Amino acid sequence: MTQAERPVLRWWSRHEYARLIDRGFLDEDDPIELLDGLLLVKEPQRSPRRTAVLLVAKALERAFGEGWFVQTQSPIILDDRSEPEPDVCVVRGSPRDYVDAHPTHPALVVEVAQSGLRLARGRKAAAYARARIADYWIVSLVDRVLEVHREPARPGPARRHWGYAAIETLGADATITPLSAPSAGIRVADLLP
Amino acid sequence: MCAMASYETKTRRFSRAEYERLIDLGVFQPGEPIELIGGELMVAEPQGVAHYTAIVKTARALEAAFGPGWHARTQGPIGLDDDSEPEPDVAVVPGGPEDYSRAHPSRPVLTVEAAESSLGVDRERKGSLYARAGLEDYWVLNLVDRVLEVYREPAPDSAAPFGWRYTRREVFDASARVTPLAAPGSSIPVSRLLP
Repeated sequence: MTQAERPVLRWWSRHEYARLIDRGFLDEDDPIELLDGLLLVKEPQRSPRRTAVLLVAKALERAFGEGWFVQTQSPIILDDRSEPEPDVCVVRGSPRDYVDAHPTHPALVVEVAQSGLRLARGRKAAAYARARIADYWIVSLVDRVLEVHREPARPGPARRHWGYAAIETLGADATITPLSAPSAGIRVADLLP
Repeated sequence: MCAMASYETKTRRFSRAEYERLIDLGVFQPGEPIELIGGELMVAEPQGVAHYTAIVKTARALEAAFGPGWHARTQGPIGLDDDSEPEPDVAVVPGGPEDYSRAHPSRPVLTVEAAESSLGVDRERKGSLYARAGLEDYWVLNLVDRVLEVYREPAPDSAAPFGWRYTRREVFDASARVTPLAAPGSSIPVSRLLP
């Protein structure tokens, strides 16, 4: 009785979420993303975060080159209840390939986190792992490090939720190679504001 | 899904005006059991046979106790505050149904929740919400222990979910009788409320 029980929140499907936007209830620019059926309020765009997002996008465009494109804070489709807008993600092809539907399987997803660090490591990591996103990075502005999450792992005796089995934390002086751009080397320092 | 709720998240809140717009837009399924509680869209407890029976019995007993000039609404919306539109299982309000054809009632004189799996939420969260709105008489019909919990005298309490709670709580078993604050001349056997 000391800790009040949480109510069960009504969850939203991706289809319903699209209707909220179509009918003008939500604006496409509202800082909202759909994750696990919840309408999450996105972390505010303070300037260091904005700077990091631009730096990451620039570094990834250079690393991946032709045949890929980088999108920032744009929707991707994970499942029927999740349409998050990762800070940066790398998608195969060109923007014209996605005129009719948002991308579903980015090769790399990056979140830049300050106050949203717990969310990025928790619920978001679980959703990306469940969608088999092979390479998920968190730029932590709190510790000025890059967390590289790989090897999506299903829940089991060792873990309650979907998650990543291999998590590596890299300091500013380290270099990282994206799984899908094996010949590239990116200095973590180039990603930090 | 429930276990996942342990992660720290900030979800989009809705005002009562927005909630009513969502209903007008036809976003929800007809008859979908949802309520707006402190800006959050909450899924109401699924209706079991005991729960439904308790609601019908309670509404009947309360209409008999209050007599003419009042009526008991069952699972009808209450325009409680700017970010809450709960649908309590039973709410006694002055007048007849036609008095609320333009706006939902906002201040029932007696509010009842019948609780099985929702017992914790009804006591803590809804109790705090109703206390904040100044509802004087709040009953939780506890179907697990087959008792009636009567909550009265709302007062501020910063530790409560909505900053208020009821300071008086009395528990009546099936053999007891209870008198609503707003119907002082009546006396209702608790057994008449239980399924």
